[in-house]
Amino acid sequence: MTMEQQDPPAVLIDQASKWYGQVIGINDLSLAIDGGVTGVLGPNGAGKSTLFKLMMGRIRPSQGSVRLFGVDPWKNTSPYRRVGYVSESEKLYEWMTALDFVTTLARLHGMTREEATERSAHVLEFVGLTDVMHKELGKFSKGMRQRVKIAHALVHNPDLLILDEPLHGCDPLARTSIMSVIRELGKQGKTILISSHILEEIERITEQIVILHNGRLLAIGNLHAIRGLLDKHPHRILINCEDPRSLANLFVTEEPVFGVRFPGEGQLEIQTNDLSAAHAVLPSIVVSSNQKITSIENPDDNLDSLLGYLIKEGS
Amino acid sequence: MPEEQVDLEGEVTRMDAAFGSGDGDEEATAVVAKSQASLGQIFEQTYRPWDGELGPRWMRNYAIFRHHVYGVFTSKGHRQYHPMVRLLILIIFLASLTPIPMLFLSSFIGDEGGFFEKMWGINRYNLWGQVLGYFPRNLCMWPLLTAVVVGGMISDDRQHGTSAIYFSRPISRLDYTSMKYLSVAIILGFVIIFSYFAYYTSAIVFKAEGWAYLADTLPLFLRGMLAGSILVITYTSIGLALSSISQSRFFAAIGFLSIIYGTKLVSLLIELQFGTTFMYAMSPYDCLAHTGQFLLGIPSNYEHPVSISVVSLMAMNSVSIWLLVSRVTSLEVTRE
Repeated sequence: MTMEQQDPPAVLIDQASKWYGQVIGINDLSLAIDGGVTGVLGPNGAGKSTLFKLMMGRIRPSQGSVRLFGVDPWKNTSPYRRVGYVSESEKLYEWMTALDFVTTLARLHGMTREEATERSAHVLEFVGLTDVMHKELGKFSKGMRQRVKIAHALVHNPDLLILDEPLHGCDPLARTSIMSVIRELGKQGKTILISSHILEEIERITEQIVILHNGRLLAIGNLHAIRGLLDKHPHRILINCEDPRSLANLFVTEEPVFGVRFPGEGQLEIQTNDLSAAHAVLPSIVVSSNQKITSIENPDDNLDSLLGYLIKEGS
Repeated sequence: MPEEQVDLEGEVTRMDAAFGSGDGDEEATAVVAKSQASLGQIFEQTYRPWDGELGPRWMRNYAIFRHHVYGVFTSKGHRQYHPMVRLLILIIFLASLTPIPMLFLSSFIGDEGGFFEKMWGINRYNLWGQVLGYFPRNLCMWPLLTAVVVGGMISDDRQHGTSAIYFSRPISRLDYTSMKYLSVAIILGFVIIFSYFAYYTSAIVFKAEGWAYLADTLPLFLRGMLAGSILVITYTSIGLALSSISQSRFFAAIGFLSIIYGTKLVSLLIELQFGTTFMYAMSPYDCLAHTGQFLLGIPSNYEHPVSISVVSLMAMNSVSIWLLVSRVTSLEVTRE
């Protein structure tokens, strides 16, 4: 019998910690990520940027280990042939044009001049900067600079893309196009780590998330699965209807429902520990109530509230 | 505005300039918004993966090297050197070539064995002086050249966090450091060694010297070139070490000048006070000058043995390179 040799995961972090003097950046963090798009979430100071800097070999872990494709990036830079990185606020060479800048960085990956120029022009076109690629970076707006950073991260077609707040400062059109690219790259089997403060954007890109708080890993996995694991916080279903009290009468007799509330006029809030079971009985009750329902929402089943619950629990 | 100039169907609307004074502005026109707002265009953005092979290590290193060296000539796509820095490099380079017109003048007026020949002709003293003479070269030219070139070489990256541009690519810290080192050494070498080479070559050309002259003077020339190379290496090592420990190009430049001039001054004062040249062993310039005098076989200005100067130079270079390498290898890019 032969053992099949498995490729190491794109990112493997084993009990890594990073202290800046008395301040803890990352605290005993372990995770493995390989393939697809993963959102890295957490409030300011949660350790998202520190995590990315550890991965990019910019800082050394005080304890534990970090591996990219099985290699320690602090000691060996070879994994960076396969990694593209957009940092939160990287300084650019202000005097260079966008094309010169991306070409220079492409050449740092070992491309020939022709390859670098051709490839740089393509990625700049891709991020919608063809018109201004001969302009100096010093004259670029914040959103344009973000797009230049994304272009230079993509120029060598990396297998792992680490994006620290990549949409920060981008206009809605640029956000949409960049998000669709990220989804597409994820579908192509690339591993993408993306952090953002705008949770809706992460939700639109991926359901696979990592949640950090105070440098600790609070949760990892599918957004809805994590929400399902939070037993202490019941799921809520908010129904806007004509007569909430009569509708509540019908719901309280059902097994999965353990409480009801009337948060506002014409509103009924159902509390349950089993969201799918509640949704299973919901259509028949609505039909039997014989009243007009204007909306049904799950206010808890989003990233925002999940993050809120987890951070409260974490602290 | 005449009605025929208003294009209500779309296209460009034309109007008179709002602030026309009437004295020649009648022809002025301004383009205002196109009225075809109903039209639109969607740009299809497609990402085409690249399936080429990334080049080897030397290609990446060459990219770093050329970025720094070509920047002296043009900042388009390369490292930016301040125009005043470029001007200073040019002035120093031209000043270092001044013996060449003197040699030309000497051959032009047929000054065989005369004043010009003695002052600028090829001999041990002049070859030494072209690289290691104190005034003006080692007082006004080489230290200043090193200070402006080396000042921001690493400190700029530390100050702005641009070292991250290199460290998030397959470039090791050793490659980063060695390419920075090589870039500085090449720029200094271009001015110091190339001017020395041009001086020697022009002497041969202007005087139409033959093989016998070449056989006589070439060993001296090569020894002088060795002394010049040691100077370039020593100044690069000290300068880059200072650049690696600072976050300001000013500190690195001033620190370098202080070391070169300060040690020289202190050694001179000690010599004047106590009559010993021993303390010159701590002055980089004097160690280089002493070693150069030994290499070119000219009488030494120093009482202490040349071995002390050689050991001191080795120690200075070792400490500087150790500081540089240890600083860069442990550099954490926390500033962005």
